[in-house]
Amino acid sequence: MLETLGNLGLGFSVALSPPILFYAFVGCLVGTLVGVLPGVGPLAGISLLLPATFGLDATRAIVMLAGIYYGAMYGGSTTSILMRIPGEAASVMTCIDGYAMARKGRGGAALAIAAVGSFVAGTVSVVGLMVLAPPLAAFALRFGPPEYVALLLLGLLVLAYMSSGSMVKSLAMAAFGLLLGMVGIDQMSGYFRFAYGVVELGDGLGVVPVAVGLFGVAEILATAGQPAPPSVIKPKLRELLPSRQEWRESAAPIGRGTVLGFLIGILPGSAHIISSFVSYAVEKRLSKHPEQFGQGAVAGVAGPESANNSATSGAMVPMLALGVPSGPIPAVMLAALMVHGVSPGPLLIQQQPALFWGFIASMYVGNVMLLILNLPLVGLFVNILRVPYPYLYPAILVFSILGVYAVNGSVVDVWIMVIMGVLGWLLRKLDFETAPIVLGVVLAPMIELSLRQSLAMSDGHYGIFVQRPISAVLLAVGLTLVLLNLYSFARRRSDWRTRIALAEKGEESP
Amino acid sequence: MTRRRVLAAAALALALPLVAVAQEPYPSRPITLVAPFPPGGVADLTARPVAAAMEKVLKNPVAVVNKTGAAGAVGMQFVAASKPDGYTLLLALSSISIIPEADKIFGRPPAFTVDQFAPIALISADPTILVVRAESPWKTAREFLDDAGKRSGQISYSSSGIYGTLHMAMELLSHAAGVKLRHIPTPGAGPALTALLGGHVDALASGPAVILPQIKAGKLRALAGWGDKRVAALPEVPTFKELGYPDAEFYIWAGLFAPKGTPEPVLAKLRDATRAAVGDADFRSAMDKMETPIAFKQGEDFQRFFDADARRLAEGVRKVGRVEDKK
Repeated sequence: MLETLGNLGLGFSVALSPPILFYAFVGCLVGTLVGVLPGVGPLAGISLLLPATFGLDATRAIVMLAGIYYGAMYGGSTTSILMRIPGEAASVMTCIDGYAMARKGRGGAALAIAAVGSFVAGTVSVVGLMVLAPPLAAFALRFGPPEYVALLLLGLLVLAYMSSGSMVKSLAMAAFGLLLGMVGIDQMSGYFRFAYGVVELGDGLGVVPVAVGLFGVAEILATAGQPAPPSVIKPKLRELLPSRQEWRESAAPIGRGTVLGFLIGILPGSAHIISSFVSYAVEKRLSKHPEQFGQGAVAGVAGPESANNSATSGAMVPMLALGVPSGPIPAVMLAALMVHGVSPGPLLIQQQPALFWGFIASMYVGNVMLLILNLPLVGLFVNILRVPYPYLYPAILVFSILGVYAVNGSVVDVWIMVIMGVLGWLLRKLDFETAPIVLGVVLAPMIELSLRQSLAMSDGHYGIFVQRPISAVLLAVGLTLVLLNLYSFARRRSDWRTRIALAEKGEESP
Repeated sequence: MTRRRVLAAAALALALPLVAVAQEPYPSRPITLVAPFPPGGVADLTARPVAAAMEKVLKNPVAVVNKTGAAGAVGMQFVAASKPDGYTLLLALSSISIIPEADKIFGRPPAFTVDQFAPIALISADPTILVVRAESPWKTAREFLDDAGKRSGQISYSSSGIYGTLHMAMELLSHAAGVKLRHIPTPGAGPALTALLGGHVDALASGPAVILPQIKAGKLRALAGWGDKRVAALPEVPTFKELGYPDAEFYIWAGLFAPKGTPEPVLAKLRDATRAAVGDADFRSAMDKMETPIAFKQGEDFQRFFDADARRLAEGVRKVGRVEDKK
């Protein structure tokens, strides 16, 4: 422990030196912007700025890139809450309750809670990264394809908790999302599926165009279709801060989101996206008022926003401790290290203590910077809501198209977004929820690849899932959850879901 | 002015820029260098220092553009279809010879063909190295291959994807040695290494730069290399050629291409520029830092290397065939 403190002292001496402070600030600022712009997420931001770091030294480069990564998680909530457009894919869940809060005039409170939750999650998870990196990284490596299948199946089970209305409808949407996730090159055989000769579809339907289409574009279409424009919300200054009640309701979700996000973040894959879905489901499951979810529950903002921030620190664990990427974003950061002649590997922490500890310390500093940067911006951003819809929505549409195009420079992505927008509008008219579709698109390729990798490893024997301890335990947990639910379903047929359905029926029939 | 005169003037005005383009010395405007893989990958990390060094010689900006998707097919198709005027170039990896072959196997219209490109120069070529975990029972490549012969299809390896470079290297080896190995594709070189380190597969063919830190840290053991010569950083590791498998030759290479039909004077200029760029001190230090040895070849030399490599890879892809047909 004493050694860690000494090392951290070294780290802060690096992180607080003016040049590092400057690059951390630039990274956080760019990250916030990247997060705020619809469509453009941390991967696109880091990729675009990677060449700009070639002239810097390794520590400055990595500090700046990491700033973009976690900065984007702060910024991503802004458009989700104010306009129901996910600033990046990990903010999809924030759209639901964040936007509902904004419609009730609590947009400022939602933004403030998202920022504070992100700060707590960011700071606490860096402690986790600092103290637990080597042992956790070794554990993360033991997650091979079979363990991943079990984990993802568990993830699919939480889907059932995501819906606020009909379970059948939300499962149908999840199945549809899983089907959409099948588009693209089959990783095991190289076969192009459902690409219809469009080479760009070889990589499948991107999460970003699908999410921005289903949420953002659909929202714009729905608003345009209303006979009278919705009234402009004029936020008052004293309503910007969360109330005491809202703070109380978000404290526990922030804590749970932090732990969940960090643990999920360590595992390979698009973990920051999944962590926000899981956190939302957990909060809804644990909440005393699950019926409030979807109507502006504070926990539905606090949990996912904390989780996606915490996941970014988790993702750094395998990268720094072992030199292996846990996803596309750490892969780009590893490349940045290699460009500067730093070989990422198991010896990085010993061979480059100034870099490692400077990086850790800069994350503490960066999170403070982001909080200072984001809280005053709440007041500014909330004023966007004062802009009348005929001006605001066309501008948002333009930004969405630009953002989606910028990620891959692909017009095909823009078309996907437009088609998904129309589809999302239709589904909303029919009272289907669209968040399960996004989850399906994220999970399908991962489940499929892990499942088929596992079967390739075992030469086709399904026993591999129960022979390996971690996957066996995860599957057992999943099975228990299903059985528990069946039990409560059988014993007490009318839970909150049916109560809502009854209440809705009561409203409809005069 | 009569109507006819106006038309004539308009026609002249339209024609003028065309004449100017035909006569302007090459290059007189920015050049686009397409890297068909995302930032941070081998193609991108080679393209950027090459572009920076060529800028100095050509006195015009050379901008790297990442046109990614479908294992590189999107970017390569883009360059194949672009105007052959020397303003759109491609930094390709060996997948340029693999993708058309894979298209052939599936009987689909090819995204592009190899003869749509004019080779300019080879920049780097790194042989792959066979690695296993340090605690695995195989101390030498001989032991590994003997065991693979005895336990046919039992020893597994990860790769960067089906028909990907790391898959092809292993496929060439297993055919040269007459053994059967079990293939577990992953979405890239990073996940493939993670699978090996986590103990989910037994072996991996990988570029030297990525695995050197793991070897130094005592996590992995190198058994043999696919190169013509031993790798400088691993002098004690033999080549498969030395071990009696001359057909197991494979390189992860990066080369510069222009669309077919680019005028010869332009190609000559680009060859000169690339030769100068490779000698550039900044370029050399950039490649040094990434521990990627420069292997410059152009003209006949590059064509010979490229043809031989394409032949080996085509053969490799055909031998793999359509995976789902084998079940």
